[in-house]
Amino acid sequence: MEEKIIIKNLKKEFYDEQRGTVLAVNDLSFTAYSGEIFGLLGPNGAGKTTTLRMMATLMKPHSGNISINGFDTIKDPQNVRKSMGFLSATTALYPRLSPREIITYFANLNGYPEDKTEERVEHLIEYFNITKYADTLSEKLSTGMKQITSIARTIVHDPPVLILDEPSSGLDVIVAQKIHEHILDLRDHGKTVIFSSHNMGEVEKVCDRIGVINNGKLLTTGTLNELREITGKYYMEEIFIYLVQEYETVKQKETGNVND
Amino acid sequence: MKALILIYLKDLIRNKYTTLMIILVPVILYPTLYWGITQFLMVKSGLTDNQEINLSLDIRSEQFLSVKDSIATIKNFIISETSDEDFNKNSMYLLVNQVDSLPFYTLHLDSTNAIQKEFSEKLKVILSDYYDLQLGQRIDLSPYDKDYFNTFWVIKHNIDGEYENMTRILSMIIPLMSIITIIAGLGTGAVELTAGHTEDKTTETTLTTSLSRFKIIMAKLFATNIYGLIGGILNFSFLTFVIIQIINTLMMQFAGKSLEFDWSLIFNFRTISITFLSLTLMSHIMSLIFVAAAGFAKTRKEGNILITPFFMAFMMMSYVVIIPGIEPGFIFSVIPVLNIAMMIKLLLVNDFQILFFAQTVSFSLIWMLMLYKYLLPFMLEEEIILGISNTSLLKQIKGRFARWKKK
Repeated sequence: MEEKIIIKNLKKEFYDEQRGTVLAVNDLSFTAYSGEIFGLLGPNGAGKTTTLRMMATLMKPHSGNISINGFDTIKDPQNVRKSMGFLSATTALYPRLSPREIITYFANLNGYPEDKTEERVEHLIEYFNITKYADTLSEKLSTGMKQITSIARTIVHDPPVLILDEPSSGLDVIVAQKIHEHILDLRDHGKTVIFSSHNMGEVEKVCDRIGVINNGKLLTTGTLNELREITGKYYMEEIFIYLVQEYETVKQKETGNVND
Repeated sequence: MKALILIYLKDLIRNKYTTLMIILVPVILYPTLYWGITQFLMVKSGLTDNQEINLSLDIRSEQFLSVKDSIATIKNFIISETSDEDFNKNSMYLLVNQVDSLPFYTLHLDSTNAIQKEFSEKLKVILSDYYDLQLGQRIDLSPYDKDYFNTFWVIKHNIDGEYENMTRILSMIIPLMSIITIIAGLGTGAVELTAGHTEDKTTETTLTTSLSRFKIIMAKLFATNIYGLIGGILNFSFLTFVIIQIINTLMMQFAGKSLEFDWSLIFNFRTISITFLSLTLMSHIMSLIFVAAAGFAKTRKEGNILITPFFMAFMMMSYVVIIPGIEPGFIFSVIPVLNIAMMIKLLLVNDFQILFFAQTVSFSLIWMLMLYKYLLPFMLEEEIILGISNTSLLKQIKGRFARWKKK
């Protein structure tokens, strides 16, 4: 399998008036391969979205490197963006445009060949089964319809890498199931998918490998079975709690040593 | 970038809220325009107290040389003697002749000039008194009845022809209305495309497309510009049509005739093209200011708050064009928006002052380049473009303020 995403020693700091400088992402490293769904699992505020934003070239890291499809996010952001599709945590659709318009415009913005755009848009509309509401303004769509449109918009230019930030957050079980099916199908078509979530169950179900993140630090990575072996726990929820508690214990010990 | 501008424009045009705003804001603002005019009229008497005015005095009879001393009692009259008929916009002309051993006055003034009209009233009182004095002496000498004698004439002379009154009114209203309507459209568009898109998170997804940040900001600027201009011009045309209809109806009712005006004086190729180009330049400057200001906001509400001081300042400044007697000068040509308003005003009264026009265009271009140089780097910063509250500019300002406080 080809290495599609390589992240090395990634760091990102923020300045907060109350807390001062906050280390949102702390020395984070992992690799994701083609035809793989890599899950980034962590609670709210763990640093998942910041990591994904740095991967999507929205933010610059303070240190470390990110390579996507062979392109560096700092040196060659344009090619990085061409190689990936980014789905943010909110549906983020232009409310006064229809799904058909949005998908078409994003094909144009991403430089998809003009003569093939219409065919591609029609294919996606059929593939995601959004024909019924393809010409309805987005503001009138349900959250599920919006999210499916967002996914279609994310993949319209057929990028090899997909970065999905909590794609099924706030959706009902049936729509979430549909979205999971689409993501698995994209993986089967050779796409590399980064799947961020705080929902243990869906990570367990969808992801091939999982990275557990807490307080900006990647605690461990591995397949579900590997994580079970490491922690001696069976369910993802138990695995996660075990890893976080272990991390906190180590941290407390370190702080104690420093104090000594 | 073209595709993105199209997305932005479609999104703006289909937005009922923004469309309502560009119609409502000027409609709310026009009453303040009337308020501005009445306020001006109220303070006008105060203004004329300090206003000096030139009077060219042409006394053709030695018998009445003393009239000069009588006129000199009027405060702020600068009298110069002349022997030719002398008409110009900035001075009044008084001819004193002798008819039947009595003074016969001919006064030339620009009847559209409020200050000249006010001074003419003061002059009339002095001249009447002088006439009565001379008449008293004349009656003592001969048995004529007082009513037999003519007093004097006042010739109201409109320098620019028969349509001058209407041209003057339009030259005040058109620049002001066009600027207010365009600024309203620009402000609404800028807030929606920056703060609104940050709130909806659409900027974030657009930033992950192949387009560079620079192109995205430029697309926002151009879309704001186009929206402001189109919205402004449509709104302005509609309001102009309504105002003309109202004037026509009033004239039919009170004067029994419709409004007579040669519209080609205003709506000709030269006026329209120069006005459009100068408004485009002004709208570019204002879009830069509005996009930058609203760019710091995370929500539409914050965006509206951030642009309001700029909106009010530039709108209020453009009110200066409705004050009669204010002449263009170097200072006016430096102030953005006001310089364009003044330039359009001059263009409409057919007073093409090449130096002022050149200065206005040059300073507007300088403003535009400076805004690009100093605002664009901020707009491109990730903290601002993504709508994170602790923006670097605010941090810098806070830092400087803290250091100053410490000192």
